[in-house]
Parts: sequence; structure tokens; C-alpha cells
Amino acid sequence: MTVKIVTDSLSDITDDLAQELGITVVPLYVRFGEEVYRDRVEITTDEFYHKLVHGATFPTTTQPPPGDFIDVYKKLARETDEILVIAVSGKLSGTYQSALQAKNMMEGKCRIEVIDTLSVAMGFGLIVIEAAKAAKAGANLDELADLVRKTMPRSHLVIYFDTLKYLAKGGRIGKAQGLMGAMLSIKPILTVKDGEMAPLTRVRSPAAGMDYLYNFVPGFSKIEALAVEHATTPDKADELVERLSLLLPKARIYRSIVSPVLGTHAGPDAVALTVLEAE
Amino acid sequence: MFAAATGWLEKSSAEIDALNVFPVPDGDTGTNMLLTMRSTIEEAYRAPDRSASAVAHAMAHGALMGARGNSGVILSQILRGLAQSLTEKESLTATDLAGALQESAVMAYKGMSNPVEGTMLTVIKDIATAVQAEVAGDDGDVVAVMETAVNAAGESVANTPNLLDVLRQAGVVDAGGQGLHTIFDGALRYLKGEMEQMRFRKPQIIVTDMHATKLPQMIAADEIPYGYCTEFLLKGEKLDTDKMRKKLEKKGESLIVVGDDATARVHIHTLEPGDVISYASSLGTLHQVSIRNMDEQHHDYLEIQKDRGPAVDTAIVAVVAGEGLADVFTSLGVTAIVPGGQTMNPSTKDLLQAVEGAASDKVIILPNNKNIVATANQVQSLTEKKIEVVPTTTIPQGVAALLAFDYEANLESNIQIMTRAMATVKTIEICRAVRSAKLGDLKIKKKQPIGFLDGDMVVVGESGLEVLNKMLSKLGLSKVEVITIYYGADTKSAEAEQVASDIRSRYPQLQIEVVKGGQPHYNYIISIE
Repeated sequence: MTVKIVTDSLSDITDDLAQELGITVVPLYVRFGEEVYRDRVEITTDEFYHKLVHGATFPTTTQPPPGDFIDVYKKLARETDEILVIAVSGKLSGTYQSALQAKNMMEGKCRIEVIDTLSVAMGFGLIVIEAAKAAKAGANLDELADLVRKTMPRSHLVIYFDTLKYLAKGGRIGKAQGLMGAMLSIKPILTVKDGEMAPLTRVRSPAAGMDYLYNFVPGFSKIEALAVEHATTPDKADELVERLSLLLPKARIYRSIVSPVLGTHAGPDAVALTVLEAE
Repeated sequence: MFAAATGWLEKSSAEIDALNVFPVPDGDTGTNMLLTMRSTIEEAYRAPDRSASAVAHAMAHGALMGARGNSGVILSQILRGLAQSLTEKESLTATDLAGALQESAVMAYKGMSNPVEGTMLTVIKDIATAVQAEVAGDDGDVVAVMETAVNAAGESVANTPNLLDVLRQAGVVDAGGQGLHTIFDGALRYLKGEMEQMRFRKPQIIVTDMHATKLPQMIAADEIPYGYCTEFLLKGEKLDTDKMRKKLEKKGESLIVVGDDATARVHIHTLEPGDVISYASSLGTLHQVSIRNMDEQHHDYLEIQKDRGPAVDTAIVAVVAGEGLADVFTSLGVTAIVPGGQTMNPSTKDLLQAVEGAASDKVIILPNNKNIVATANQVQSLTEKKIEVVPTTTIPQGVAALLAFDYEANLESNIQIMTRAMATVKTIEICRAVRSAKLGDLKIKKKQPIGFLDGDMVVVGESGLEVLNKMLSKLGLSKVEVITIYYGADTKSAEAEQVASDIRSRYPQLQIEVVKGGQPHYNYIISIE
């Protein structure tokens, strides 16, 4: 039986891709005051960013409760006896814990494995895609878990931020703390390191930021796939994709949108790039 | 009773949010617990009958489905334990309650893959221990048990900073523990018939007398140890995989036991591979045994990353004149500022002192003036430390180089990156001529504003603004995005703003920033990038 792949909405896997590859995406929750929305299900990205920028209340985010995972596990257990859950960094969200708790509460024969990818957005979304392809090709749970763990160090995520305001408000600024309080307006470029946000460098303008993302790619000699995501600036991301496809005509470039839950922390105008190195 | 507790919690959810620093300091513990309790109460009203068992099971279900955040998840485990213990019970005696709380504590710990002390878990455990002692003496009433529970919770919460460093550093008690105390307190007040008083009062927030030693940001949970990846094939007779799975479950993570009654494959991530192996060898013979140290693998991976060069240990020394500019450099991460610049060049000794004083054996120097580059280069031969000079000749070049500093790159790559970045910026400096002179075609009168582009004098004018405009029109600004104007100690901020708004109106597509540089000599230093 095919192993079923489950991930959370922070993976930024698009609906089309999820459907094509048979990936189940469990949404996190985003909350404005007491209004609670399921990430990307009950709030569109456009509605979300409008509320984020213009709304009076600052949103907060929460992991899916174990019950949500149990529902998914039970549903999938009717079709398979092996499930692999590929989750966002446990240092940025409690989603991994929830998935694990749900696993421990499951009875029956279905084997479930939960992996903390120590990354976020397409930084682990690309890993999910690799795993889903391998699952389709018939890999078993142990092989898939092994594949995911081996792919993790090959995934490199860089995010251009227009401001660190949102990351600081959400309590997830991590080691990028040092970039706060600069006397000039700077645009930070961050990565995830050991599961936490960490600074890479800073630029003065959006265009310089996009140049940095572009120049990040040739730093890797062998590339499996790329992913580019935007929050509110699709044009900037499209332009980057165009430049990258001229640079690497054969590379598969996935295009996605930073999910509302991540957008709560990244803020509008963020652009994320993931490089998945080939083995 | 629990509805009252939820109401009580609602009143202090914001204060509890403010305490939230662990495991992710996102300040929403109170709200998460409140939402979890709301879902719990809603479900309680849907219980098929009013027996203790039915209500408790309904609540546990509500909590499970509505659990928000880590605190909500633990709360749901606590209610699950309560429900399991009260199964088939019609009503609740003091002994039942004490037993149920005991079960709650056990369930809460069981639920977490890596239980941390000094959190809600400790508080529920302390509550359970205290109420056990209470009912052990004599079979008291439910109110007495709850009173004991609330007192124990209070003491336990107050003690959390002693158990968890993150809390001690932030000078707060654990937010989840506080929430739990509030829930029990609310329930107790309901039992005592204090509903009226509750309407006019707020729950007590326990304070710690320890003071914050660190800002409550950026403190993450300690790394979870990985342990050993243990795999083997077990051959025997009448193997019971279910029983093995149960037995091994507590030994580690990612447990997989598959096979039949003759052969079973076992995979587990455990801290004690010996225990696992000796248990398995009592059941049959072991084959294809593999034990890998995952911490080592993880460590190796970190080492590889280190080779790629984290630069956290690189210090940067910059030569800067003017208070405002010094602040700019400091805010961008410079380790030490050596005062100096045009007409006031620092000595080699000044630079050497700054280098020696930096808490790092790798130091990058930004001279920011062409007359200081050579001095900076001399420092290399005078110290044991590894010194590199990025030959910046103006303040904007220094800022550009500093901004480009890559936290993940090693010293050599950073020198390349910074040197490249330095070339991407153009610098205009405007000052007043100290004397009359004739330079090539340019006739300069004393005190007349003169403009330099990247160190070369190119323009003379009647006013600073005129000089600047002449220079900007000479530069192709089509690729320019950001102009930063640092105005000097002798220049008024109103004048600088006037200059800025003039440029803004002429080049609306540009991002213009005005910063008080406070530098001597130059009225304006302008960065064009």
C-alpha cells in the first residue's frame, strides 16, 4: 500500500501540487483577536494580508490541535497502513508536538512516523514534495523517513524581509535579534539554522534583496529544485523566477505563496527562496 | 464549576500571555488555554447525562478537539487523565478527585515526548502529590481537596523559575502553570459559592521575586537529545509484536516494530540502546544489529556547517567621526569605533588598541578614509590576531561593506563580499573650502561649498544644495534606489530636511533618508546606492 504523506500548512504546498502528489495538508490556525481562521482554508492569502496591514489587531498563530491530526490519521488509515508526517521546525511551532501526540493516541495497526524538519516554508515544502514523489514510486515508510532525514541538510532557505517588525512581535525573531534597532532602514535577509530564524545579511533596498536571492543560487554546484514564494509582491517573485530560469534553464522552479501563518511573522513584501541541492 | 474556572481564566488571559516565554515566546498561552477551556465547556454541556463520567469524557473530547498551542495540548491531556480515571463514576468523592488528578499528571507527562520541568507538567504533578497526601489522612470533602490543590498549584507556580532557566532569565513564572492555577482557583471559588465575589475581582497572578537577567527574547528550548538510532532483526518463537511495541514505546522515539511471530524488525531512536537490546535478546536471537549515534551525526553536520564558516566570532573595527555616524555603525554591529576621519587620522596605536580589545581573534578593519587605509594595513604585522582590512575610503563605503557582512560566511569570503559591496555605492561629500585656490578649471573662493565624488573634487557652487544638485544631475540615477544623507555637526537639521525634500520632489522614485551624522568638516556625506 502506498505510504500517505501528511504535512502542515507552513510547507506552502499549493493545493494543486497537494492534489497531484496526494499530500494531505493540515492547516495551522491564524487568529485576529477572537476570530480564528484555518490557514489558507478559511482565510485567503489576500484577505489575510489586507487584515495584517490595515487591521487594528495583530494576529497570532497556533498549531493544529492533536484532534485535527487524529482526524486525518483515521481517515488515511482506511486507505493505508503507513503514514509519514513531515512537520515545520519544532522551534518555530508546536505542530510537530501535536502530530506526535496524535500519533501516540492512535490505536490500530497504522504505522505513523513524525519528522521535525527544522525548517519552514518551502524550506521543508520541497522535502515534502520529494517524499511524496518517492511514496508514489512505492517507497516504504522506513525508506521515506530516511529520505526525508537525508534531504533535510540539502535544503537551503533564504527569506527577504521588508521589516523585522512582524517577526519580533510574534516572538520568533531568534538570533536575528541583533538586526533590530539599526538606525538606517535595512531589509534583513534571514535563513533557518538549527530550526530557528538566523540572520544572513542585510540590504538597503528591495532590488538589492532580490539580487541577493538571485546570487544565492550559483553558490550551489548541483541543484535539484528551486522554490520562490511571495507574500504580497507577486511581481518581484515572478521577476526573480524569470531571472533564475535564464540562469538555470533546466531547473524545476516551484512557485508558491507564503501562507498566512508564516506571513504573520514574515510580514508583507517578504520573498522566500529555497535551493534544494542535488546529492 | 469548570465554566466558572473558564470565566476566571478569561479575566487573566492577557496577563498570562505576557508571561509566556517558553517554549516559543509568542505570548499567547493565556489565550490558548482560554480557547481550549471554552471548547471543553461547550462539549461538557453536550454530555449524554450528568454523571461525573459522562461529563468528564465529554470535556476530554472537547479539549482534545479544541486544544490550542502547547499549553492547550497539555491541558487536554490533563482532562483526558481525569476522564479516564472517572470512567463509570456517577458522582465525585474526594478520593475519586485525588485519584483522577493523579491520573491527569501521569497522562500529561506521557503526552510529551520530552517533558520539561518548571512548566504546567510540574504544577499538575505537585497538585496530584499534595491531594494524595490530603486524602490519605482522612477522606476529606471535595472542597478541602480543591483547596489543597490550589495551594499546591500556587507554590508550584512560584517555584517554576527555579526549575527552568528561561523563566529565571526572564524573571517570570511559567505562563501555563499560572493558567492552571487560575483554573483550579476558579473552580474552588465556585465550590465555595463565591460566584458573586468573582464578578468584581480578578485572579491573582503569581509573581517571582527574581529579576530578569536577560531579555525575554530569543531564548529557545534546549536542544532535544537525539540518542542512538537502534535497529535489529529479532528471530524467535511466538513473538508478540504488540507487547514488544508497548514495552519499547517508553524507551524512545520513532519506534517501529513490524513482523510476525517468528521474525520481527525493530527500529527505535533511544538514549539507552543497551536496555532495548537486552530486552530483545531475552525474546530470541538478534541479527543485523545496528546502533548509530545520532548526536554524533548531528554534531558532524554542525561541524560541516562550521567549516563553511559561521562568522559570529569575527569582530569589526571602524574608524568613524561624529556621534550620529558612530551610532549608525554600532547599530549595524560594529564591535569597536576608533574616532577619526578627514583631518584627524588615528594612529596605528589607536587602531591596534581597538583590535586587541576586541573579544575575537579575527578582526576586520574599516578605515573609511583613504588616508587611514595604510595605517590600518600596518596593524596586521603588530598583532597575533588575524587582521583583514576592507579598504573603504568613505563613510558610505564603510556602511555598505558593513551591511553586506554575511553571518554564515568565513573571514575570507566576508572580505570578498564586503569589498564587492563597497564598490556598489557612490559617495558625495560636501564641505566648505578652507582657503581660496585654483584646481584645474575650478576656481574656488574661501568658504565656498565644494563637492567631492568618491574623493575627487568635481564641483563648486554657491550653496550646498546647488553643489549637490549639480552632482546628482551628473550621475546617472536610473539604477539608484536609496540615497542617505548624513548631515554634519555644523549643519542644521532643517537645512538637511530642505535638501532632502528638494531631492525627493525631483526624484520621486528614490528612497531618501536623512540621518544626523554629526561629523566634523563635511556638511553633508551622501550615500548613493
